[in-house]
Amino acid sequence: MAPQLTLQAPLELPPDQVPAYLETLWSQGLKGSTGAATFSLVVWEPSWLQQQLVRTGRLDGPISGLLSEELLEAARSAVTDCGLPPSTAPSAPELAWALGQQEGHHSAPDLRGQFVDRAISAHRPRRLITLAPTLTADTPLETLVAAYCPLPEERGSGEDACGDVVVLRGGMGAIQQGLAILQPLIEPDLPCWVWWNGSLDESPEVLEALATPPRRLVLDSSIGSPRRCLDQLVERIATGQAVNDLNWLRLRSWRESLAMVFDPPSRQGALQHVVQLDIDVEGHHPVKGLLLAAWIADRLGWHLETSYQLPTNGDGEGIGAEFQRGDGESVQFRLMPVPVGLAKTHPGALVGLRLICAPHGQAPLCVILCSESGGCMRLEAGGVASMELAEEVVPMPNESEEMELARLLGGGHDTTNPLLAAAAPLAAKLLPE
Amino acid sequence: MGATLTNPLRVGLRQERVIPPQCLVIFGASGDLTHRKLIPALFELFRQRRLPSEFAVLGCARRPWSDEEFRSRMAEALAPEVKRHQSAWDQFAACLFYEPVDLQQPADAVRLGTRLEAIDKLKATRGNRTFYLSVSPAFYGSGCRSLAAAGLLKDPSRSRVVIEKPFGTDYASAEQLNRVVQSCGQEQQIFRIDHYLGKETVQNILVLRFANTIFEPIWNRNYIANVQITAAETVGVEERAGYYESSGALRDMVQNHLTQMLALTTMEAPGRFDPEAIRNEKAKVLQAARLANEEEPWKCCVRGQYSQGGSRVNPVAGYRQEPGVNANSTTETYVAMKLFIDNWRWQGVPFYLRTGKRLPKRLSEVVLTFHEAPVHLFDAAGGSPTANQLILRIQPDEGAGFVFEVKAPGSGMRSRPVDMHFSYDESFGEPSDEGYVRLLADAMLGDPTLFTRSDEVEAAWRLYTPLLELIEDAPWQLPIHPYEAGTWGPGAADNLLAEEGLMWRRP
Repeated sequence: MAPQLTLQAPLELPPDQVPAYLETLWSQGLKGSTGAATFSLVVWEPSWLQQQLVRTGRLDGPISGLLSEELLEAARSAVTDCGLPPSTAPSAPELAWALGQQEGHHSAPDLRGQFVDRAISAHRPRRLITLAPTLTADTPLETLVAAYCPLPEERGSGEDACGDVVVLRGGMGAIQQGLAILQPLIEPDLPCWVWWNGSLDESPEVLEALATPPRRLVLDSSIGSPRRCLDQLVERIATGQAVNDLNWLRLRSWRESLAMVFDPPSRQGALQHVVQLDIDVEGHHPVKGLLLAAWIADRLGWHLETSYQLPTNGDGEGIGAEFQRGDGESVQFRLMPVPVGLAKTHPGALVGLRLICAPHGQAPLCVILCSESGGCMRLEAGGVASMELAEEVVPMPNESEEMELARLLGGGHDTTNPLLAAAAPLAAKLLPE
Repeated sequence: MGATLTNPLRVGLRQERVIPPQCLVIFGASGDLTHRKLIPALFELFRQRRLPSEFAVLGCARRPWSDEEFRSRMAEALAPEVKRHQSAWDQFAACLFYEPVDLQQPADAVRLGTRLEAIDKLKATRGNRTFYLSVSPAFYGSGCRSLAAAGLLKDPSRSRVVIEKPFGTDYASAEQLNRVVQSCGQEQQIFRIDHYLGKETVQNILVLRFANTIFEPIWNRNYIANVQITAAETVGVEERAGYYESSGALRDMVQNHLTQMLALTTMEAPGRFDPEAIRNEKAKVLQAARLANEEEPWKCCVRGQYSQGGSRVNPVAGYRQEPGVNANSTTETYVAMKLFIDNWRWQGVPFYLRTGKRLPKRLSEVVLTFHEAPVHLFDAAGGSPTANQLILRIQPDEGAGFVFEVKAPGSGMRSRPVDMHFSYDESFGEPSDEGYVRLLADAMLGDPTLFTRSDEVEAAWRLYTPLLELIEDAPWQLPIHPYEAGTWGPGAADNLLAEEGLMWRRP
């Protein structure tokens, strides 16, 4: 799906004039329209990777904030050039940081906030506010404003489908200064979504200022240090804020595939006799694997006894844990980083899962799920051939971040998914201190 | 340790499509359907987290209820469910509103518009509305007119109307009603419900046919000898005598439910999984369908009516003895007929449809019987080999079966039929959603795939017009054959198949 530019060229205004301009625009310029009664969407859009790839001449502009195929290709070749491990994901902050150490003075037009993915614009956001920090820390604050209305054939007969786009661009200091004008720009009567489209390690004060409840937060727990990612998830869920984690959403096909194995009632009894759970992940970011393990543990009523660091295998340290089942028996858990030749887009993608069930008096059942057949090989070792074997290759989801976000916006939940709310605290406990 | 009752890993995963923010307006909110089907279905969707937080239900009827009274009446009607999920109900009930509305009064429709605007502001429902006409069929046309006159249908992307069955009582009335509703809004806004299409197994007919390569090459007159479609009920007329007396089995079941099963079984493969592509193919096949003998329709149709039955301990009243039924009623409670479809795929293949009340079993199924093997090489345990049959079970025990011949154990080479069995329960272990859950969700999503388009409805009525005219003009030519309650219908129905040397399947 091709992204859409705003229909009108954005107007650059002094920051303090933006609220008044928008008020005048809606009351006079777009007379008769009150704007779409939908939601506001605030996007933190640093796009450090794209900015660095453009600066070092590895990618042509413009800077759009979108993860295009060209960008991913350029990022993957940069991984090798920067001497990072091949399992480094393109969106890992380490890559942008490593590129930041390289020379380069290329530039390109910065159109962040002006590209609206059709999946998102189809939901007719009332106001789309983008915060676009630049690489140069002392760039002054620029504010751009554009109003748009869908074409007549797209909007039906209603005039109240119009919205506007506000972009705040500048160095980090300028962005923080811009936060002051942000508050009055957010419609108090409409739901507000905040999409933190960057690392959870950076700019905690900006995150704090943007993502105040009852605003609905969308974040990605695969970007940032695992501890910080999980703590943010847990703390915010505990306050009752609606939190949506794109990393959790990307687990959908794994959860579906595992549930499918146990759909036949004849297999469901085996779930009460799980003795071992192994998860392999790409690189050294364990959050996705921990969330999957925590979801399984929560659904099967396991109690966490202990978790610990496993010795390094060259690709990072693994995590071990022991759970206790409802009947008092123990379940061993291991999460291991494994090397891959071509990393997926986001850090810590799942490679494989193995679940061993040992019902009394019956042959053990071994379930292996993997992202590609190669991923199964390690998990097939260790004598599982003597067990009843159920193997599935998990289909790769092929959706952009914007599609995932659009699905959330379309759904409009004002609470956290209860499965994530239950899994996140357990995942945080699984991560050894 | 006993087996778990459900798959704990499945909980919460069924939220593939999330309904966009909107207000569902139910007309006839004080009626039976609202508290028996619609509100339970909505509550189920709410518990599955498929409803957004920007969601509201506005109940409308003539009774002067308040929001609170509507909520408490719904809670009362759903008491066991509410008790099980009290906190979810409390959240859901906050989405329920009520407005006294008589759609025949233009002023009421205008007031309704004002209330909806207030709800849009309160719940951020974005002016997105689904109007559900759960009212007497006599008011479908005028209801649509009132909504249109109040400007509530002018945006086709944000307003939809759901219309319950029956859609018309014959071809002329359906055509007239189509004209009226289409003058009020675009076809894409009209969702004509046939709750059979909400059944998982009915939808599975499409998946079975078009997601597997093995069936398509044999799904035609070269391999299939005949098709039987059955919808049998064990219940009698119950409390619906008033309605049933004027409709009968032909209008109540055949024109809609059985015809939809026929269409899904016989349609060509659509070019893509798209509502219009699917509905085009359904309409085309229905337009090609005809009674086996349109000149003398009494030769291809049998009507019946249940008479007293049961045992001395549990006697069952006959139809004419049921409360509210005319003692001399000539309304059919059973109908069987033979159809043909005049196209390349199905030319010459007889389709036998039957439905009835007070039959021995409650079941719906489609049975495709294949041609026999051209040469019988082996002795068959049953005298002659049984033709292969593919049985699509719609309800109960949803699933599919395939009957084929195997070697009977022993030293000889005798064959006998066996049944290969697929059961939804055994494979998935989870009960399917009630049909209304699926259909309400689809209507609110604006997905018309499982709803009947105007040309489908008209084609279905046109198909049975010779019978309806005969019943109207010369009913003695299509007499009512009595059958004992609890049996498989009148013996005359067997004659429909006997001339081909066939028999009804005894499921």
